Amino acid sequence: MVLELQKPRPIWQIMFSTHHTDVGLLYLITSLAFLFLGGALALAIRAELFYPGTQIIADSMTFNRMFTVHGTTLIFLFILPFASAVGNYFVPIMVRYKDMAYPKLNAIAFWMIPPAGALIWLGFADFTWYANPPYSIISAPGPAADMWIFGLKILGISSVLGAINFIVTILKCKHPDMSIGQVPLLAWSFLTSSLIVLVAIPTFAAALLMLLTDRLGVSGFFNPAMGGDPIAYAHLFWFTFHPEVYVLVIPAIGMMYEIIPRFSRKPIYSHSSGIFAFVLLSMVSFSSWAHHMYATGMSFTEKTVFMIGTLAAVPASAMHVFNFIATMWNGRIKFATPMMWAVGGIALFFSAGAGGVVNAAMPLDFQTHDSYWVVGHFHLFVMGTIAFGSIGFLYYMFPYVTGRMYNEKMGQVHFVLSFIGAILTFFTQHVLGLYGMPRRVYDYPPIPEWITMNQIASIGAMIIGVSMFIFLINMIYSSAKGKIADTDDPFNLGGKYYFPYEAKNPHH
Amino acid sequence: MNQHNSEIYRTTPARTGKMLAIVLGICLVGGVIFFGMWDYWISYQAPVVAKMAGESEHKLAPGVVTGKHMEVTLNFIESPDFKTFAFNALPDEEGHNPTINANVGDEIVFNVANGGKSFHAFGVTKADEGVTGIVSTSAIKSASNPLKPGESGRSEFIPSEEGTYYYICTVPGHREQGMVGEIIVGSAQTVEAPKAAAPTGVHLDFSVNFIESPDFKTFAFNALPGEEGHNPEFKVKSGDEITFSVTNNGKSFHAFGIVSDPENFNNILWNSAIAAASNPLKPGQDGSVTFTAGAPGTYYYICTVPGHALQGMKGSFIVE
Repeated sequence: MVLELQKPRPIWQIMFSTHHTDVGLLYLITSLAFLFLGGALALAIRAELFYPGTQIIADSMTFNRMFTVHGTTLIFLFILPFASAVGNYFVPIMVRYKDMAYPKLNAIAFWMIPPAGALIWLGFADFTWYANPPYSIISAPGPAADMWIFGLKILGISSVLGAINFIVTILKCKHPDMSIGQVPLLAWSFLTSSLIVLVAIPTFAAALLMLLTDRLGVSGFFNPAMGGDPIAYAHLFWFTFHPEVYVLVIPAIGMMYEIIPRFSRKPIYSHSSGIFAFVLLSMVSFSSWAHHMYATGMSFTEKTVFMIGTLAAVPASAMHVFNFIATMWNGRIKFATPMMWAVGGIALFFSAGAGGVVNAAMPLDFQTHDSYWVVGHFHLFVMGTIAFGSIGFLYYMFPYVTGRMYNEKMGQVHFVLSFIGAILTFFTQHVLGLYGMPRRVYDYPPIPEWITMNQIASIGAMIIGVSMFIFLINMIYSSAKGKIADTDDPFNLGGKYYFPYEAKNPHH
Repeated sequence: MNQHNSEIYRTTPARTGKMLAIVLGICLVGGVIFFGMWDYWISYQAPVVAKMAGESEHKLAPGVVTGKHMEVTLNFIESPDFKTFAFNALPDEEGHNPTINANVGDEIVFNVANGGKSFHAFGVTKADEGVTGIVSTSAIKSASNPLKPGESGRSEFIPSEEGTYYYICTVPGHREQGMVGEIIVGSAQTVEAPKAAAPTGVHLDFSVNFIESPDFKTFAFNALPGEEGHNPEFKVKSGDEITFSVTNNGKSFHAFGIVSDPENFNNILWNSAIAAASNPLKPGQDGSVTFTAGAPGTYYYICTVPGHALQGMKGSFIVE
């Protein structure tokens, strides 16, 4: 997939190209840029919480603005675009088509991301990535809040366009000799997550518009002073964003499905159960949104229904984990960097899932609700599982994209430090939550246990920060001066690959 | 299958450098814009805040009465084909929907007759479309209980703030068919807001600072609530000449003015405004104004940016 570099071309030709590898490269670079920007904010937040009292951030409002943009950036501007990058590179090749189904739509979907990112970063809104009314309507100062709303609106449109493109590419453009069951699991993960996007996103798109008109004062959907109901916003929001969690995690699992058989030198244990689990996961993703809102005074029946709906995701997730383990079983495993990230990701996926069962159980949820437990839980998922799978896959695709090999030692150091850092930070935050520390706080009382655990979490975050710095150096240095990779078998595994470099770019 | 026919060019350091320069350049330009305008991004309240504050305006008694009185006679008429409605005369004829010019505090008395064949009702509103927001004292009958042909009625309207009002037929649809005219209300400063009988010759200097709490939720003058010197109260004699110096020590935009009702931040008395919501004092800027205190009473000095007075930027200004 060195393809876009097969003949030296000026950068603007890559930027205005519609070929799937070029758009994939743009997605990749954008998402990594936002990864480092969002990560820098995380470090500032953790540094602020190292001691009680004010450390490096001037006031609580600046703190709120920072963690709002941190969350929005890493979810919408790192994880989603990164998944799109992988999908753009691999889905057309896996279904043996020359490009995405709608190349121009593909480029448009990408070019919506930079302006949306600019809106979010320039505005720096302060109402958390939930934008919960009534605060987001009445108190959040503009124009930052309005810019955030418009930015998310644009990102939502971009996601829907990308999803349409993936669905059509996979279902209508796959090679006629290939049945849908033979489509590789990575492509299947994009098919299922795109279907979720299509169903889920419009709800939040509507909620955003209602939020905007509420702010303008022409409507009062969520404004209690005008007879509206803020809880309605929470329902609309979570109807989109609980499934969205699966939109984030399913491609990451698909990436692990690509890495694990390859580095175990075995075929996947059960292709069809992988497909089944993806489809099941995409369906049960819609049965659990209100588990974020047990504490809003729902009836016992509602809570029970959503508890069971949430727990229904457990078998599907476990099927993936068992599939991974069965694939690795008796394989000749090579623990190169991508494999380490994938296995580490599975371990943390299991831990995060175990914590998730506690959250889903509605009596226990009241204990953990709005505490640091929740912060630890979803960071373990988002960082420990999704980002681990994604970064592992980035190492895996690196030789195909650049034609050069990354530095294996630096990659392994990156993994080890990140793994230790993630455990220190996010496991500790679980315990911190049980000790009663609320989330989204700028300052906390000097309780000795809280101070110790916050310091452990902050040190873990700094370790991740160091590892990410190593990662950045590795990526920049290796893409320019790394050892030239053998694109037929860059990891010396033997056996067959998809032949990504065989995709034809019309520019050549 | 594993054969390459074409040579593969590898990434060069120059290409990586260019790509990095682009990414860093974007971050740099964005950073300059972002930090250069740091205060701007959080300088406005959502429009709904001002609207919610403005809701109570309609419930207020009309502003200070100037004593000026005007009689307006209006007649509902309809075109023979019944498609065009108007007041007094059909479009393109003399006296069609006459525009009324008034000042804040003037008493406008409407004598309205239904000279048509349909049912009509009368009212004054600030809304530039629809039949909502009718000022209650100005209504004659209503859509559900209208003026029948040949009937007439009388009502009065005292504008409490400057701007354009509309007198309309409040039967739904009639306004759209042409039964609407304008009332242009001149600024409050041009009319006699309460003024002292004679200047006292005393000159007083006051100064206040605009400040904000770190969480940006509470605004005040000089000191935050609970601290010494918070929103100081000023007492003056009617006819005193007063100079106010203000400094914006906050992060947001502010403007100054003295009003009789802190929720009615547009109705600034005695030419006491420094800057305005549309052209406010930026952080660090200052300004001053000199004016003569008017009739005795309790007034307020406020930040005239919508919503700020509600967040605490308001202090008492007492004229004795």
